[in-house]
Amino acid sequence: MGKFTEDDLKKELETKEYEYGFYTDIESDKFPIGLNEDVVIAISKKKNEPAWMTEWRLDAFRIWKEMTEPEWANVRYEKPSFQDISYYSAPIQKPKLNSLDEVDPELLKTFEKLGISIGEQKRLSNVAMDIVIDSVSVATTFKKTLNERGIIFCPISEAIQEHPELVKKYLGSIVPKTDNFYAALNSAVFSDGSFCYIPKGVTCPMELSTYFRINEGGTGQFERTLLIADEGSYVSYLEGCTAPARDENQLHAAVVELIALDDAEIKYSTVQNWFPGDKEGKGGVYNFVTKRGLCEKNAKISWTQVETGSAITWKYPSCILKGDNSVGEFYSIAVTNNFQQADTGTKMIHLGNNTKSTIISKGISAGHSHNSYRGLVQISPRANNARNFSQCDSLLMGDKCGAHTFPYIEVKNKSAQIEHEATTSKIGEDQLFYCNQRGINTEKAIALIVNGFGKEVLNKLPMEFAVEAQKLLEISLEGSVG
Amino acid sequence: MELKEKLVSSFLAFENKGNIDLDSTVHAIRLNAIHNFETAGFPTKKDEEWKYTSLNPLLKNDYSLFPNAEKSVGFKNVEAYLINDIESYTLIFVDGVFNSFLSETTHEDCDVCVLSSALARPKYKMVVDNYLNKIANKNNSLAELNTAFVKEGAFINIPKNTIVSKPIQIINFSTGSEKEVLLQPRNLVVVGENSHVQIIERHQNLSKNTTLTNSVTEIFVHKRAIVDYYKIQNDTNESSLIDSTFISQKQQSVATVNTFSFGGKITRNNLEFYHEGENITSNLNGISILNEKQHVDNHTLVDHKSPNCESHELYKGIYADKSVGVFNGKVIVRQAAQKTNAFQQNNSILIDDGATINSKPQLEIFADDVKCSHGCTIGQLDESALFYMQSRGIPVKEAKALLLYAFGNDVVEKIKIPQLKSLISKLIAKKLNVQLGFEL
Amino acid sequence: MLKINNLHANINGKEILRGINLEIKAGEVHAIMGPNGSGKSTLASVIAGKEEFEVSEGTVELNGEDLSDFAPEVRAHKGVFLSFQYPIEIPGVTVTNFIKTAINETRKAKGMGELPAKEMLQMIREKADLLEIDRKFLSRSLNEGFSGGEKKRNEIFQMAMLEPQLAILDETDSGLDIDALKVVANGVNKLKSEKNAVLLITHYQRLLDYIVPDFVHVLYNGKIVKSGGKELAYELEEKGYDWLK
Repeated sequence: MGKFTEDDLKKELETKEYEYGFYTDIESDKFPIGLNEDVVIAISKKKNEPAWMTEWRLDAFRIWKEMTEPEWANVRYEKPSFQDISYYSAPIQKPKLNSLDEVDPELLKTFEKLGISIGEQKRLSNVAMDIVIDSVSVATTFKKTLNERGIIFCPISEAIQEHPELVKKYLGSIVPKTDNFYAALNSAVFSDGSFCYIPKGVTCPMELSTYFRINEGGTGQFERTLLIADEGSYVSYLEGCTAPARDENQLHAAVVELIALDDAEIKYSTVQNWFPGDKEGKGGVYNFVTKRGLCEKNAKISWTQVETGSAITWKYPSCILKGDNSVGEFYSIAVTNNFQQADTGTKMIHLGNNTKSTIISKGISAGHSHNSYRGLVQISPRANNARNFSQCDSLLMGDKCGAHTFPYIEVKNKSAQIEHEATTSKIGEDQLFYCNQRGINTEKAIALIVNGFGKEVLNKLPMEFAVEAQKLLEISLEGSVG
Repeated sequence: MELKEKLVSSFLAFENKGNIDLDSTVHAIRLNAIHNFETAGFPTKKDEEWKYTSLNPLLKNDYSLFPNAEKSVGFKNVEAYLINDIESYTLIFVDGVFNSFLSETTHEDCDVCVLSSALARPKYKMVVDNYLNKIANKNNSLAELNTAFVKEGAFINIPKNTIVSKPIQIINFSTGSEKEVLLQPRNLVVVGENSHVQIIERHQNLSKNTTLTNSVTEIFVHKRAIVDYYKIQNDTNESSLIDSTFISQKQQSVATVNTFSFGGKITRNNLEFYHEGENITSNLNGISILNEKQHVDNHTLVDHKSPNCESHELYKGIYADKSVGVFNGKVIVRQAAQKTNAFQQNNSILIDDGATINSKPQLEIFADDVKCSHGCTIGQLDESALFYMQSRGIPVKEAKALLLYAFGNDVVEKIKIPQLKSLISKLIAKKLNVQLGFEL
Repeated sequence: MLKINNLHANINGKEILRGINLEIKAGEVHAIMGPNGSGKSTLASVIAGKEEFEVSEGTVELNGEDLSDFAPEVRAHKGVFLSFQYPIEIPGVTVTNFIKTAINETRKAKGMGELPAKEMLQMIREKADLLEIDRKFLSRSLNEGFSGGEKKRNEIFQMAMLEPQLAILDETDSGLDIDALKVVANGVNKLKSEKNAVLLITHYQRLLDYIVPDFVHVLYNGKIVKSGGKELAYELEEKGYDWLK
């Protein structure tokens, strides 16, 4: 019979190319490899930064030098050599862009290949975009509309020049330089990223979006995002990531800090599709990311992530629920295939009274990959009536992969109510036959079932992203085991 | 002198005292173990496995390692800690020394005796060589420490097709003959094919002096054998216990360990199951009811290595005052272990602010066709149930105690020895201050 | 339309179908009855192409085309529909999304474009009404937490959407109360035409009061031991299966 066997599927998967693995041929201005104080100073100079910023970076560099790489995560990889990386690479182009028409046409082509043609985005959806290629922000759209409402949305390099008081106040306030090895490194060498400030009482009228792309070989990308939602404001922020296929490993060490002041709400969504390496496990991005948000009174931060890329993922978007009645949410789908390894999850730190957190984590492992959920729910002695609900589900495809759950639950207040559930499952033969009988082939059936598995998370994504995320899930699992 | 140095430097004296045969298996095992312990030392909170339990308060004491003066202990002194209303074999150790007067051993259908005599007699050489220290986890430095000083404890050897007619009680008493004493009992249990045994283990301090017990038990469960093991931990506030129990199961065997922790200062239970065959069932049940500054850390591991096996794990905890509960349940399902069913549940109630629970239910799955789940809840008593009971005239304090009692009841229900069940019920009731107006 | 010739099938070497011959023409309704374990459900699964059954001998032809080499989804594209005795749950996938995928995949296989969303919605509404299905039901996860009756109704709803040539209803009456049975039967009757055919698989005569068969076959021990008109069903109801052994 014309059976589409697991082996067929595997074969097909192996021949599947990384769809976003193209390289844009743009001239770039790149530093020689290596890292020392001079390089840090040079990066700062390149950006015309004020002295306080240079000092801040140098301080971070000195801290970083004393630190060692963390080893507790459930991932195995050859450690990157930090002296073999170029810490600055920028596409060469006109110094300042006033409109999209001035963007390098090669770059625009890149965006189109990414499926995020800026023009189309503009037309279809109300999305303001900031685009970061390698290390530099190259285009920010919709600036004017945002300005009218007092919203600041610009590259962080620009914010350092134009809004130093905000940057000084908040940069490093949530993720201090001393936080961890990669955060310290990022603090020393970050070259760009997005900055966003929503004034008091303002509901941001459109989705804000940043697209990150590593283009140049042998570089690291260290972007820094700082997002401040002032009292009573609301913003939904999207972040997308891709990188070309290369056979060396590229390093990505980002830091994202969110501040939600009283009654503010931040929705932060990520679709991460860095190059995951080839089917042999060669190449791929090392993604070491520190993301953390602080909630003041009645504030809410919601992290949603769809993670399909990177060779190694090390990422725990977290919420510090400092204010009373604040709410933290974490919705995640992490897919690993071939030789990918992901160790991802969240930390919910309950400090205020009546704080609430929800964790929904869906891990899908295929091929020879390893997918770990690592999460911390911490209820401090003073946090009365804290609530947490966590659900961690794993879907395994084949018997060469692994799914792991490492939840840490620490409760020091008697009024806390915590519920944690975890399950593992596979795609059943009977489910596939049922779909087949209704005319749906095995591959499509797998996509359907996986999308169903991740539905609670996909539903949390803004519409424009949900479609893309679903497509990504399909691509990254295409031909996986049935 | 630091405790570690003291232990290491006492090793030679300990071996010499025993007139040890330098060619014997046990000598080699001890030598290797003391070396491992010396290299690894005591675990600290930096070790992931000891993240929530610090041994520091225990390591400061100047323990007597070999209490020599055996205080005379009569039946009257220990009666309260024995289950007397059933026929049983009893192995009673006082300050680490076997007390034959209080014990009842056998060599008839099976061997229920002491490890020191098994180590000394050629008749048991095969058993010792085949089993001793074969599954104790070499990465557990405390188990290695116990192995270095392996000498005395229970030796239970059940041949195949034997149903041991009565339960076996193993009780370790400390008398306070020294101000601070370290005891290291070592139990070896081998259960042959188709055999069945029930074992109750207890540690009891009879004085107000300090006792630290570092106990290791290895249990080998052969084909289709059934082992029910009960651990009663209701010691004084001056007593701490580090218990490491390792269980190796062959096909179609069923092993159950029930741990009841109500007393003691710091109690750490390492309970590890290793599957060596198909259709194995492992059951792990526990209930901790703590108050004051008590600290109980239950670390469990079920290592599913073969297909078609099951494990069921249920741990409950009630924590009052400034007590601390830790649950770290690890389930590994290896690639070959298809069709595994592994369930794990940890439910806790905090009674007072200041009490802490740290729970880490951990799954590591490498096979796809498996059913694994874990659940963890932390909460309070059901307010509506409380109100309901109050409305029927039950005062709130009693109502709470009754609800807590009911919370732990599904673990108690798993006890298969009626007399033990009633004892545990009474201990729970006492701990919770519940007046039991009826026999449970 | 459907022609089964000397069909033998086994599972793990255990022979279950031992030489089935059956012909169904367009416009006909056939019923297959038989005691438990006689091979009724196996026959349905083999026609639909379930891979755990091995066909050792014989053929199944649809419109003169041998189906043996076709995967289940290809058979579905060619017009075979099996209403499952135990419909499968797919968490997170809504009834609507599922049927939309099924229809568009079938259209794709036939070289047609996707059905425009508007028409799809229109059709879903129409067929849902036919089976007295609540709109809310359509956005629930497929078969997850459905009652027995809801599951069966959903199967017939999908059948109505997919408009198959040959509908095989495997124990569709089991688990249905009388009201639900009427709704389901009514739906099937409305879908019946000169161009399609229905194969009912049932243990009891009850369903046949509502969907009246042109032919009744008795399956016993992997073979059709008796065929007749609808009166045969009453005879079986009265006498049981023992007299046929």
